[in-house]
Amino acid sequence: MTGLVTGWGVLSAAGDSVTELLAAVRAGAVVGVDVRDRFDEPLPTAQAPAIADFDVRRLLGRKGTSFLDRATALAMVACGRALADGGLTPDDDNRHRVGVVLGTTTGSLKSTMDFSRETLVQDKPYLVNPVLFPNTVMNCASGQAAIRYGLRGVNATVAGGPLAFLYALRYALNALRRGYVDALLVGGVEEYTPNTAWAAELTGAGPAGEAAAVYLLRRPTPGLTEAPRAQVLAVATGFQPEPSADGLAGCVRRALATAKVRPADVWAVASGDLDADSLSEVVPAAAQRWSVRPALGDCQSVTGALALGVLLGRYAEDPDARGRPALIVGRSRDGAVAAAVVRG
Amino acid sequence: MHRVVVTGLGPVSGIGIGVNEFTAGLRSGRSAAAPITSFDASGFPHHWAGEVPAFRPEALLRRLRVADWGRSALFAAAAARLAAMDAGLSLPATDPARVGAVVGTTSGESTVVEQLTAELVAGGYPAMSAEALRQAPAERLSYAVSAELGLAGESVTLTTACSASNYAIGYAYDLLCWGEADVMVAGGADSVCRWAHAGFYRLGALTERACRPFDRDRSGILTGEGGAALVLETLKHAQDRGARIYAEVLGYGVNCDAHHMVAPNEESVAACMRLAQENAGVKPEDIDYISTHGTGTPANDLCEARAIRAVFGDRVPPVSSIKSMLGHTMGAASGFGAIATTLGIRHGFLPPTINWANPDPELSWIDPVPNTARPATVRVAQNNGFAFGGNNAITIFGAIR
Repeated sequence: MTGLVTGWGVLSAAGDSVTELLAAVRAGAVVGVDVRDRFDEPLPTAQAPAIADFDVRRLLGRKGTSFLDRATALAMVACGRALADGGLTPDDDNRHRVGVVLGTTTGSLKSTMDFSRETLVQDKPYLVNPVLFPNTVMNCASGQAAIRYGLRGVNATVAGGPLAFLYALRYALNALRRGYVDALLVGGVEEYTPNTAWAAELTGAGPAGEAAAVYLLRRPTPGLTEAPRAQVLAVATGFQPEPSADGLAGCVRRALATAKVRPADVWAVASGDLDADSLSEVVPAAAQRWSVRPALGDCQSVTGALALGVLLGRYAEDPDARGRPALIVGRSRDGAVAAAVVRG
Repeated sequence: MHRVVVTGLGPVSGIGIGVNEFTAGLRSGRSAAAPITSFDASGFPHHWAGEVPAFRPEALLRRLRVADWGRSALFAAAAARLAAMDAGLSLPATDPARVGAVVGTTSGESTVVEQLTAELVAGGYPAMSAEALRQAPAERLSYAVSAELGLAGESVTLTTACSASNYAIGYAYDLLCWGEADVMVAGGADSVCRWAHAGFYRLGALTERACRPFDRDRSGILTGEGGAALVLETLKHAQDRGARIYAEVLGYGVNCDAHHMVAPNEESVAACMRLAQENAGVKPEDIDYISTHGTGTPANDLCEARAIRAVFGDRVPPVSSIKSMLGHTMGAASGFGAIATTLGIRHGFLPPTINWANPDPELSWIDPVPNTARPATVRVAQNNGFAFGGNNAITIFGAIR
C-alpha cells in the first residue's frame, strides 16, 4: 500500500510554505529569528531558527486555546492547514475514517518540566495546575488536533526524535494498508523553548529549531479527485547500533526494493544532516542532496517532515523532477535507521 | 495473512517479576500498593503507589550497561529479556532484521526528566546534565529492547499514553500478519514519578491506599510502574521452532474520542470494542472475559461499564481490573492486561479485582471477579486500554486451535 500526499501544512522559521522552506535550505545558512524577548529565562543564543510571529489565538480563536502549549498549538495549526490544503472537510460521514499520526521526541519538554518544577518549588508539592496536566503527556498534540477537527479514526503518537516522522509515515502506511482509515494527518512538531534551546546547546546538537509540518495522506482510491503532491511508496526502518557502513545503506536498499525503484533512478536524497559519503554506494553521485539542519537547526521529530517539504518544493518548481523517485533518510545517535521512498 | 501467537511473557511488576511470580501474584490477588520510596512523597496527602522495589536491572540484563539508560528503558529491556527467555528464543536470531520491538509508554523517561528538573531548579538551565538530556528521548525505550536482545528489525516507541501497550501489540500484530517480521517483542513501560502523582492528585483521581475498581466506594487510581513484554510471532515461525504457544492474537482496534483530553467517552469506547471484535473476527457472545481498563475512578469505571453494556447487551462476561493489584502502570497497563489475559487463557482462570467490597447499583451488570481468582475456561478474551487524548486501543486474544 502506498499513500498519496494531497495536502500540507508547514510552519518553520523559513516561513509558512514549502517554497520558502526550500529557499532557506537552498541558501544553507541558519535562519536566525530574534528570540531574546520570548522568555524570562536566559537563552544560549540571541537568535535561533524559531518560528516568528506565531499567535495561536489569532489563528485558532480564543476558545479552547488558553492552556495549549506551543507544540500543541503549532501542531493543531499545521493539521488544520493540511486538511484545508487537501480539501478534506471532516463530517459525520467520514470522521471515523480520518486520523492523526504525529512524531515526537519527548512531547513538550517545557510543559513537563514546568509541571514537574511546580512540585519542587511550591509550598505543597501537589499545588500544580490540573488544567496543565494533559500537556505533560506525549500524545497531547495528536489528541488536541483530533478534538479540534473532530477526527475519530486511528490517532497515534510515535517517538523517534530525528526518525520520528519516518516512523509515523510507516505507521500511517500500515493503517491505510490494513483499511483502518482512509486518510491520515501525518507529521511532526517541535517547539523552541529555553528547555530545548539549552538541551541542544548542552548536548552539542544545537542550535535547537522549531517547526511543525503535517501532511494529509490518503489511500489511493479511484474516486479521489485531488491531484496528489507526491506519493509515498515505501518506508523501511531498522536498528543497527554497531557502526557499520551497511546500516543506513541496507535500510535504503530495502525501502527501494519494496517500492520497486531502481537505486540508479533516485533523483534526490533529503535528510536532517547527511554527510557527503553516506549512501555513496547506493545512490547515484549525481542525485541531489538536501539537508534541512544547516538552515533550520535541530528540529528533532519534525526533521523528516521538513525534508519531505523540501522535496515537495522541488517537485513543484522543477517539471523535470516530476515522476522521479526521491529518498528521505535518517539515522539516530543510538543506531536506528529509516528511509522513505517518495515520488512527486 | 499470517496467524499470530504469543509465545513468551515478561512481566516486571510490583506483584511479581517473571511469569511464574506474576502468575502466582494474579492467582493469589497480591497487591503492589505500598508507601512510595522512589521520590520524597512526604508532602503529599496520599503517598502510596504500586512501585517495583525488587527491580534490579543488573540482575536481569545481559547486554545493556545500566548507567546508560533511564529507568523506563530498563523496565522495557528487562521485561523483553524475560519474555525472550520465557519464549525460548535463540538470540541473536538467524535473521535479526526479521525481529523487532514495539514499546508503548505514557511518560517515557519520566524519572530522567525529573532529574533534569531538579538540576534546573538548583542551578538554572545550564546545570542540566548532558548525559540525562541524551537519555530523555522516549524512543530509547524500544532501542533499549533492541539493543538488549540484538534485534535489527523495526524498533519503535508509541507514546499514546495509557493505552500505548495495546497500540504496540496491535502494530506488532499487523507487521507479523503481513509477513514483514517473524517475531516482534511488544509491550510497554513507565516509571512512578512525582509529577504524575501530583497531577492525578489535583485531578481528584488519586486514591489513598487501595484501588477498588467497580466498587461502589471506588475513589481513584494508585500510580504504578513496571515493564510488560510479550513475544509475538507468526504461528508458522512458532511451530517451526517447536515453541510453546500461550494464545493467539486475534486482532485489535484503535480509535479516538476526539471529545476531551481526560474524560472518557462512552460512545467511542463502545465503538472501539466493536472495531476490535470485527478486526478479530469475533462476536460479543464469543468473549468469555474482559480485562478492563478499570482505573478505579468513578468516571472511568462508569463509562467503561456502560460501553460494555452497550456492546454486550444482556450477556456481559465477567470482567476484572488488575490495576487493583498493580496500580495504574500507565503505558505498561494494557501490556500487563495482555499478559494477564494470556495467562487466563492458558491456565484457565480469571484474575480478580481485589479490594472490592460493595456492588455499585449503577453497574449492576458488572461481575468484577471480586477478590479471588476464579477457575474458568477462557476461549476468547478482550483487553481494554484507554488514555488521555481519547486514544482507545483494545486487543483480543484467543485459545490456540
